[in-house]
Amino acid sequence: MHRLAVLDLALALAAGGGAPPPPASEVVAVRRATLPTAPDDAAWRDVPAFAAPLVPQDMVEPRLLEPSTREVAVRTITDGTRVALRLEWIDETRDDLPGTGRFSDACAVQLPARVEADVPAPQMGETGRPVEVSYWRAAWQAVVDGRPDTLQAIEPAAAPDHYPFDAPPLAPGSPEQQAMAQRYAPARALGNPMSGPRAQPVQDLVAEGPGTLRPADHGRSEGRGVRTAHGWTVVVVRPLPEGLRPGQRGQVAFAVWDGAHQEAGARKMRSAWVPLLVEDAR
Amino acid sequence: MARVHNWQLGRDMSYWYPEARPQSQFAAVFDTNKCIACQTCTLACKTTWTSGRGQEYMLWNNVESKPYGFYPLAWDLNLLEKLGPQTWDGDRYAGRTLFEAAEAGERVLGWRPEELDYAHPNVGEDDCAGAAVERGSEVQLPHDKWFFYLARICNHCTYPACLASCPRASIYKRPEDGIVVIDQSRCRGYQECVKACPYKKTFFNPMTGTSEKCIACFPKFEQGLQPQCFVNCIGKIRFAGRISTPEHAREDNPIDYLVHVKQVALPLYPQFGLEPNVYYVPPIHVPRRYLRQMFGPRLDHAMDTYRHAADDPDLAALFCLFGATERVVPRWKRVNDVVVGMDEQGAEIVRVPVREPVFIRQAFDAARGVTRTNVP
Repeated sequence: MHRLAVLDLALALAAGGGAPPPPASEVVAVRRATLPTAPDDAAWRDVPAFAAPLVPQDMVEPRLLEPSTREVAVRTITDGTRVALRLEWIDETRDDLPGTGRFSDACAVQLPARVEADVPAPQMGETGRPVEVSYWRAAWQAVVDGRPDTLQAIEPAAAPDHYPFDAPPLAPGSPEQQAMAQRYAPARALGNPMSGPRAQPVQDLVAEGPGTLRPADHGRSEGRGVRTAHGWTVVVVRPLPEGLRPGQRGQVAFAVWDGAHQEAGARKMRSAWVPLLVEDAR
Repeated sequence: MARVHNWQLGRDMSYWYPEARPQSQFAAVFDTNKCIACQTCTLACKTTWTSGRGQEYMLWNNVESKPYGFYPLAWDLNLLEKLGPQTWDGDRYAGRTLFEAAEAGERVLGWRPEELDYAHPNVGEDDCAGAAVERGSEVQLPHDKWFFYLARICNHCTYPACLASCPRASIYKRPEDGIVVIDQSRCRGYQECVKACPYKKTFFNPMTGTSEKCIACFPKFEQGLQPQCFVNCIGKIRFAGRISTPEHAREDNPIDYLVHVKQVALPLYPQFGLEPNVYYVPPIHVPRRYLRQMFGPRLDHAMDTYRHAADDPDLAALFCLFGATERVVPRWKRVNDVVVGMDEQGAEIVRVPVREPVFIRQAFDAARGVTRTNVP
């Protein structure tokens, strides 16, 4: 609770003072007419935070054996059709550069694809009972915020002397030039949504068990993350799960990756399912 | 974990997936004795596959000067140290493989290179000669000075550690030829394969966010052609083909003949348990104690066989097929002093004399009263 108090204080100060509401015992999606998309929006000020405890993913290999991020503070606002989730956690190091042995800070929100009495397995769902995941990555946020899609932006000392697809007689930007460049970027040529450059720092995913994660048919999530003095604050905006009506309870789960701790994929800190109450219209 | 058979270890072992051998298995033989480390293979690969942004540091093919050259730094030493001393009981491996020695929470015993480990490919390659000739040797070694060139590509292992380590099964062995590839549409760049591959032949691309690796030039191999690093090798040290399991070895398959029949070509660090499919003729001038660790217990037989290859008409002939054609040569035979490479149906692809005719040209041309220079 000590850490949550720190986060609450930070939020209160950022929002211009005033006592924060008491901690929540579940994630309550507070009903508002409009959804805030910025992490520092004043609308978050009077929304109670739920401190979701995180445990290492130690069920399937590769596992995370040493815990890192212990909890994530979650605030939620809904307009009745969409939901904005604000995740805030402590991470002393900013990790948003891709590279060999370098991993990005990241977080994710997981919801059952269908609202049923019996929830799917909290670890990535299960066969026939999918979960939807909205995944935010700091490295993508940096690109969205303006970091150029160049090697020098991530490796400032790099000085390549020649790329065959940048050489004459190919005209820069011509279809021939772009086609040749794609030949040396196979993941981009195949449209792998990981391969960038991305317009959104959040990716929509679907899973039916560990190792089955795949991009959703349609990107429906938006988001924005900002670096704070001691960590990250990320807002993810997405539709409410299908069948989850105002006034009802659903489930939600969270995950946080600490890049400095070499966390990626299954090596992550995760929560159990947490009750999610969608407030009815006032 | 499943139980699978690894013939290189002479025993069954544990692996993440059940045994599922491909219909045929890409394999290669490299004769280390012929390599001069010109790196033409490295450039052939580089220009063909890894000239893109984010691929600058990648060498799907590299040649390193052993024992002190590495790419990435100390790739084999780090893992050997982590695995600890292991033993062979004759031809049977009595130690633990990387799968059997996996630490808690891991699928494979591995280690993660850092960016700087890739910064100096083949660091130390000149140490035996010293920085300047007049200064002599720069380093004092605990043993007699020797070195050899180890050319390396992906081993397209029967039991790949990269494949086993991928939590989302983005890596697969092609059923038709056993070539190991990373699905570039599925990879999410977790870099588990980079950590797991003992040979460090998967590479993370920071510009595409995925890992990439040697594909054995499969678009060429599908057309019956050898990969780029093979056909550009000016030392003709390489031979690509398909390997059978020992019980199905065919004498007229060049790879089978060298690996199974003559046992003159050996897998690289077989004790890791991956059943790698690039086989090396060991360098015959290098101390056997070192090579035994690298190539396993069949080293002495391979060294002795190669030393006497000139007295073995068939073996001597087969080595003449190395670098003789761009085509993959699945069958071969010797006809007197000529070696013939054939396709699967027995049709001739290439014919090479085992010994080239020798012409001695007098330095002084008496008829013209001139001394010849070395021109045709």
